[in-house]
Amino acid sequence: MSTPKSLKAIALVSDDFVLGGPAQALLDRFLIGYPRDGVFHRVEGCEVRVWTPPGQAEADLDRRRADHGLVRARSLEAAVSGADGLIVMAHPSGDRREPRWVKPALEAASGGAACFVYGILGSTLSQARDTQMLGILRQVSVLAGTELSVTWRLPEVDVPEEARLTEALIVVQGGFPRAELDGLAGLLPVVERRRHGELGVHRVRRIAGDRVWQAGDQGLWSWPLLAAALSRSDSPQGDSVKDGRTQYLVGLGLVPKLAREPRGWLIDHAGGLRSAILVLEGVVGDIDFAVRMVSGEIISAQLYRPPTPDHHEFSRLAAVVEEFFRTGHAPWPNRRALLTAGLLETFATMQTGTDELATPSLAFTPRIEGPK
Amino acid sequence: MNSKPTRTAKPALQTERWNRRRFVHALALSGAAAGCLPGARPGRAAAGTRPSGGPPSPRKVAIVCTEIRKYSHAEHFVDRCLEGYGWHGQHHYPPFELAGLYVDQFPEGDLARERSARFRVKLQPTIAQALTLGTSRLAVDGVMIIGEHGNYPRNEKGQTLYPRYRFFKEVVKVFEASGQAVPVFNDKHLATNWDECLEMVADSRRLGFPFLAGSSLPVTWRIPALELPHDTPLLESLCVCYGGVDSYDIHGLETAQCMSERRAGGETGVKSVHAVRGARVCDLLEEREPARRLMFAALARSHTCRPKPGYTFSMPDMAWVRANSDGYVGYFIEHRDGFRTTLLMLNGLVQDFTYAGLLRRSNTIVSCQMHLPMPPRLTTVADFFNPQFNNIEQMILTGSAPYPVERTLLTSGMTLSGVESLHRGQVLVETPELQVAYAAPRASTFWRA
Repeated sequence: MSTPKSLKAIALVSDDFVLGGPAQALLDRFLIGYPRDGVFHRVEGCEVRVWTPPGQAEADLDRRRADHGLVRARSLEAAVSGADGLIVMAHPSGDRREPRWVKPALEAASGGAACFVYGILGSTLSQARDTQMLGILRQVSVLAGTELSVTWRLPEVDVPEEARLTEALIVVQGGFPRAELDGLAGLLPVVERRRHGELGVHRVRRIAGDRVWQAGDQGLWSWPLLAAALSRSDSPQGDSVKDGRTQYLVGLGLVPKLAREPRGWLIDHAGGLRSAILVLEGVVGDIDFAVRMVSGEIISAQLYRPPTPDHHEFSRLAAVVEEFFRTGHAPWPNRRALLTAGLLETFATMQTGTDELATPSLAFTPRIEGPK
Repeated sequence: MNSKPTRTAKPALQTERWNRRRFVHALALSGAAAGCLPGARPGRAAAGTRPSGGPPSPRKVAIVCTEIRKYSHAEHFVDRCLEGYGWHGQHHYPPFELAGLYVDQFPEGDLARERSARFRVKLQPTIAQALTLGTSRLAVDGVMIIGEHGNYPRNEKGQTLYPRYRFFKEVVKVFEASGQAVPVFNDKHLATNWDECLEMVADSRRLGFPFLAGSSLPVTWRIPALELPHDTPLLESLCVCYGGVDSYDIHGLETAQCMSERRAGGETGVKSVHAVRGARVCDLLEEREPARRLMFAALARSHTCRPKPGYTFSMPDMAWVRANSDGYVGYFIEHRDGFRTTLLMLNGLVQDFTYAGLLRRSNTIVSCQMHLPMPPRLTTVADFFNPQFNNIEQMILTGSAPYPVERTLLTSGMTLSGVESLHRGQVLVETPELQVAYAAPRASTFWRA
């Protein structure tokens, strides 16, 4: 095990810099510090650089330069050259366009650096693999993910290591593909801890509209798991918004009534696990998951996203990224990012009307080890 | 009774697996047992509970409250009683029948009548009738007194004269007349003067009924889920929160006290309370290094610390704390054994509740946030009432209060003394009357599953 290194320079590369956006949320934590494990933590003695295309939030970036010594690099290459840690913002687009700055950043990075990609490694499995390979060639450790993988869970539950799981389900909201990325970022870290780890996916089915409910009635996803997940929500919609009442959303048959343009993805994992991502706008306002173990027991939680504007789920993410920069060791399996990219590519392909797709390219071997 | 809405059945394809119809049917059959009793497994669930028409033999309860409107405290309790709530990974219906409901006021936006009609719960004209249900004697198995919100006068000290004591005494009158008493819950602090607080606790002892009271803060989620072991060598406790005097101070004091009472030696009572406002809070903090350390530790658990212009979160220093001090209120409390409690309502700086405690031996600090996701800004339902309601359930089902009412007797006294200190001109108030010694329960009762 190598000794954690001190960080002399960190660079953030982003298309944009918006107050309240993830680039600002991450950059500021390395620039000014963040609460971590009950203390205010600063990354001492570290130069923080940023590169964005010209014209981005000049006043906000200038303020940070004046207040905290932010270095605004003239070029992407100047930003990342010699940096110990790189943060590259790569939001999913829903098409096959490659994230713009990941490859250029890796090509300009110094050997021995660590690169955290916020979002996706690539819009396709092939792009993500190329990115990983480039990292290996450049001797840059690469990690991808979002804050949802590391935020607090209410309650603080996890799947016991080596547990046998039969079904998993997560409820998310939003447009394609951001909601789907949230679903994968929330669910994959949970299910990959199961016995034999994540072996990949061999089939994906798309459901939308009334077919979402029919699929539940057919047992293609589990109503009891949905009930367990939604029991963790503290933002039910409908009459709760009107007058504050609590509601048994599943038991009273309210979910189909409340959901606006529901869609879902049914994922058959190698090894037998079935998972479902349900994008249910109008039902709840939070992200909740449930998994069933072979014993029949269900584990469920809300993935807690703290209030705006602070967004302290990014403090959790910053802590993980900082450790990654210091040690070069990825805190979760890299193949999670490959599976995420591959599934998002599959979803995008199916958006055009395909209801079912075999995914032999997503059947990974050997096993993907979950974090301990 | 068919008071609960029913879902419209959609055509369902029959399979060997669970389908929605089978699931809902199973829920109806499952009754009220699962999950509502001690022993429900944390973080796991079998099937939810949805009593169709109610559990086989529900306990009859009465709610005596000031007003029911959106997000009033009574709305939270009444709705959890009638509509159920999320608990241990399932939707849980309390094994209760809301048999008696007394509502004191009907403001604009009243929901009492809507709830009464939809669930066929009769609004009773008197508290006695809410408890006797048209008979000559007590006819319920438990009583909840929710004397928060509503239009009530304020006194010269700024206290809102909520009728908790009056409600309680009406309840006690029925108990006395019936020669029988049942468990009682009182929301928030007990009353607006100390003698009334003492009398309420004395009545519960005299008549021998379980009495539970206080805030939801001690039992809500903690982030992280900090469990302070019983007999912890704790030197000092501090809560950073927000809100008003005679309002949210009780929540902050209970946040601290549910931790402080677990210290080695237990609770001994309070010797003095000194309440100050504005920049004087910062002045006293400058003089007290341990409290200052604890404040920053608590702030490091906050998710709402006010950022500087152009930023979205804060790394506060003393200058930033002082810069926002106009609306601050601080209670500096010394206990009879030398233990200290500090309550900082840092209005303008934070909008959440955080705790920090200083340990004696290692001089280290433990800290967490007591999660209070307040609707409507953060949520749509105030689910921090779920664990409080569940503790009330346990009390009514088992006949034993899960945590001692002495906690709330003492925090009521601290609250009243804080009000008094401010009223007298922010002077230190000696509190010889607050000799409330008690032992905390071994089990910590906060929500973690």
